[in-house]
Amino acid sequence: MTPNAVSTDSRRSTPSRSGSGQSRRGFLASTAVAAAVAAGGAPLLTACGGGGSGSGKKDGTTTGKDAAKLLPAFVASTVVAPDIAPKNGSAAGFTRAIPGAELKASVTGRRGKGGALTIMAPFWGPPPAPDNPYYKAMNEAIGVRATWQNQDGNVYDQKLGAVLASSEIPDVVVVPGWNLGGRIPSAVDAKFEDLGPYLSGDKVKAYPNLAAIPTDAWQRSIFGGTLRGLPMPASYVTNIAPFYRKDLFDAKGWQLPKNADEFLALAKEITSAKAKVWACGDMTWTAYNMFGVLSGSDKALGWNLVDGKLVNRIETPEYLEALEWTRKLFDAGVVHPDEKTQNQGDTGNRFTAGQCLIYNNDLSHWYAKTSEQAARNASFAMAAMDIPGHAGGLPKLWATNPANIWAFIRKGSSKAVIEDALAVADFTAAPYGTKERMLTDYGVEGVHHTVKNGLPVKTDKGNQEVSSSWMFVASPAPYIAHPDTPEVTRAMTEWQQRMGAVTSKSSFYGMTVTEPSRWTGLMNDFEQLEKDIVRGRKKVSDMQQAVSEWKTKGGDELRDWYRKLLDTNGSAAS
Amino acid sequence: MSTLDTKTAEPAAPAATARTPRGRRRDPRRPRTAGHVPFGRRLRRDRALLLMTVPALVLVVVFNYVPILGNVVAFQDYDPYLSTNGVTAMLESPWVGLGQFERVLSDPGFWHAVENTLVLFLLQLVLFFPVPIALALLVNSVLRPRVRAVVQAILYLPHFFSWVLVITVFQQILGGAGIIAQTLRQHGHEGFDLMTDPAVFPFLVTAEGIWKDAGWGVIVFLAALAAVNQDLYEAAAMDGAGRWRRMWHVTLPALRPVIALLLVLRVGDALTVGFEQLLLQRDAVGPGAAEVLDTFVWWTGLRSQDFSYAAAAGLVKGVVGLVLVLSANKTAHLMGEQGVYRT
Repeated sequence: MTPNAVSTDSRRSTPSRSGSGQSRRGFLASTAVAAAVAAGGAPLLTACGGGGSGSGKKDGTTTGKDAAKLLPAFVASTVVAPDIAPKNGSAAGFTRAIPGAELKASVTGRRGKGGALTIMAPFWGPPPAPDNPYYKAMNEAIGVRATWQNQDGNVYDQKLGAVLASSEIPDVVVVPGWNLGGRIPSAVDAKFEDLGPYLSGDKVKAYPNLAAIPTDAWQRSIFGGTLRGLPMPASYVTNIAPFYRKDLFDAKGWQLPKNADEFLALAKEITSAKAKVWACGDMTWTAYNMFGVLSGSDKALGWNLVDGKLVNRIETPEYLEALEWTRKLFDAGVVHPDEKTQNQGDTGNRFTAGQCLIYNNDLSHWYAKTSEQAARNASFAMAAMDIPGHAGGLPKLWATNPANIWAFIRKGSSKAVIEDALAVADFTAAPYGTKERMLTDYGVEGVHHTVKNGLPVKTDKGNQEVSSSWMFVASPAPYIAHPDTPEVTRAMTEWQQRMGAVTSKSSFYGMTVTEPSRWTGLMNDFEQLEKDIVRGRKKVSDMQQAVSEWKTKGGDELRDWYRKLLDTNGSAAS
Repeated sequence: MSTLDTKTAEPAAPAATARTPRGRRRDPRRPRTAGHVPFGRRLRRDRALLLMTVPALVLVVVFNYVPILGNVVAFQDYDPYLSTNGVTAMLESPWVGLGQFERVLSDPGFWHAVENTLVLFLLQLVLFFPVPIALALLVNSVLRPRVRAVVQAILYLPHFFSWVLVITVFQQILGGAGIIAQTLRQHGHEGFDLMTDPAVFPFLVTAEGIWKDAGWGVIVFLAALAAVNQDLYEAAAMDGAGRWRRMWHVTLPALRPVIALLLVLRVGDALTVGFEQLLLQRDAVGPGAAEVLDTFVWWTGLRSQDFSYAAAAGLVKGVVGLVLVLSANKTAHLMGEQGVYRT
């Protein structure tokens, strides 16, 4: 998710957005889109739809020949060559602003037929007015009359469950991967339209920007054996970056930690409760990365073939070690006290306020916080440290998925509605350097942004209105583009490339797997247990207990089920 | 509710004698009703009053009675996504008899939530319930109207704060980085964090509740106090009763029916100890301390779309609540009080 999150959402992910520190929901809150859970939110909500080999099956996944029949053709489209080419799974970096006159049109004329369209999507923070100038300009340019139903992203899963159970489903529904818990995957199959007849194979060529979406993102969009989702492609490199206050680190001469012990020692040195300074926020997600724990952003990603046996992340010693280490941080009192409550707003605010000097969140925060503080605190400087291996050296990181948020179209929609929705998607998936991308990311010149020294700078109105929403309907291949802060764009891309170099793909990478419904609740309690353990309310041995219960209650059967899936479909791992 | 009905009916039927039209003697314990007036006439006579109840009635029917029908999913393995809408999905979902109830009753998580709920209920009963009574007596003793108005305003105000705000205020004062902890640290002492300590949590929740709602609870007691005949105080004073004796023999007996009524209602509500307040703080202390029945139902129902299971848990709660309110009412009768209603 990161690149999109970065390129499009970062501007939105101002600290004012809601969010309770480190809860998974809160985290998303502050990260904008997505990637979510990657480093460790619970696997709680993640099974995705997919329909066996061959369609019609309610669980399983679709790969290989069966998928090939469904996947849209790929037609690359680059308007501007990236200044930093993608490498090691990173996004493409664009550091130069393209003057308005040189922007290309990737879509000819207004593609929409002018129909009305309701779109429901998660939103973090106070949403803009329903018919604000940004939405109007987008509607006008695309040729639709879209009405946005922005819902609180923090409790989107509940809203989604209720809306999908009702008879009032909006025309387009955005579903993040981390909200695919419980029965939602079956709802996706039951309630959303098959887009195959519009996009499979060469049909996608009618939508050039959708045709340029990488195939692995489309692969993730096959639910229940059917191409249902419009994906938001993402870099597979972990999106969770440990940020530190570079200005304060430099002033005090603190060195970045090279292993887990150094991290703890440094945290103790930084903390001065008396002065209201604590070293860090809840670092659980970074701990997972430092210790090389399999990804928790998706249930299937948490399984990996080790010496011929499938192992789940919760069974690995690394998982327990990461929890134990994070617990030490809480124990040592180096974590800001409000992090413990998880209902006291955003960690990012404490970071910019200088009350907490290290925190982890979506990579997009790098740009968001930097640009937000530019006008408020001239000396503010932040950076992401390279994730240290727990024992020193490089960490072993696991890939997240190449797409983890989709827009779906309601089943039974008329052809006109589907085509209008696809027109929106084709518009919002326009690549960098196009008029469509510029309007989607920066709004209207003079209203939402001004151009200073050739660089687009968002106005207050722009920050308020031009956020979230449209890019959820579809996005181009992963990119990071912040022409106003080229050095941050470069640093973000290069961080991804360095982390990408030590990233491996687990056995089910890139597949959308729907677990049989009898097992979808198996992992429901683990996220809570993780929180309880690191906060000292439960013991690490309670986790061992929970894992052995998980095995007998279905975990071992689930392992066999995944094993069969792997034998049938092969692995995408590398 | 019938107490209210009879109250409104009584003045309207002043001629009602001890004899019913059929000539049978009325049960003296039974409050008089307008039963002897023909139905049609009563309808015409009370139409204004009946009309006034319509909006409330509609609300009750739409939001309380119609949803009761939804409880059938407790006996199903309900999948709301089986069909185009929730109702037809209900028709298509398989029946599982009492299977969901078996699941609920054998789930340690459920019993844990029950335990937390009861602990909080008892604590609130002992610590919270008497507070509005004491406050009412206090406010009642303030004679200056202006002072009294100010005191009342200050007492009522927190009721209008949202839980988010209340919890944040508590966090800012009692939290690990709160005013008190920071002040202590600046003076060389250890800080503390009351907001994330599971052991303190039940008291914290009660304290928050008292701060927010005790003042609001005063209103009904003040109304009861206003109804006390002032002559009684005068007479008692004439007989040489001091302040305490007047309170004991005049004021408190006057409040007794109201106290009994509210107590019965509270007991019936024993399994409801605050939803939003606890949900907001669930992460701060963990479900071990903060999971109560309502958050349990929310968690299993909405978070995992296990609607049938949540409905079953909710139904169990409803049935237990009914039994509680009936027995509390009975107890009130045995103690000579009116309770909520008499049959």
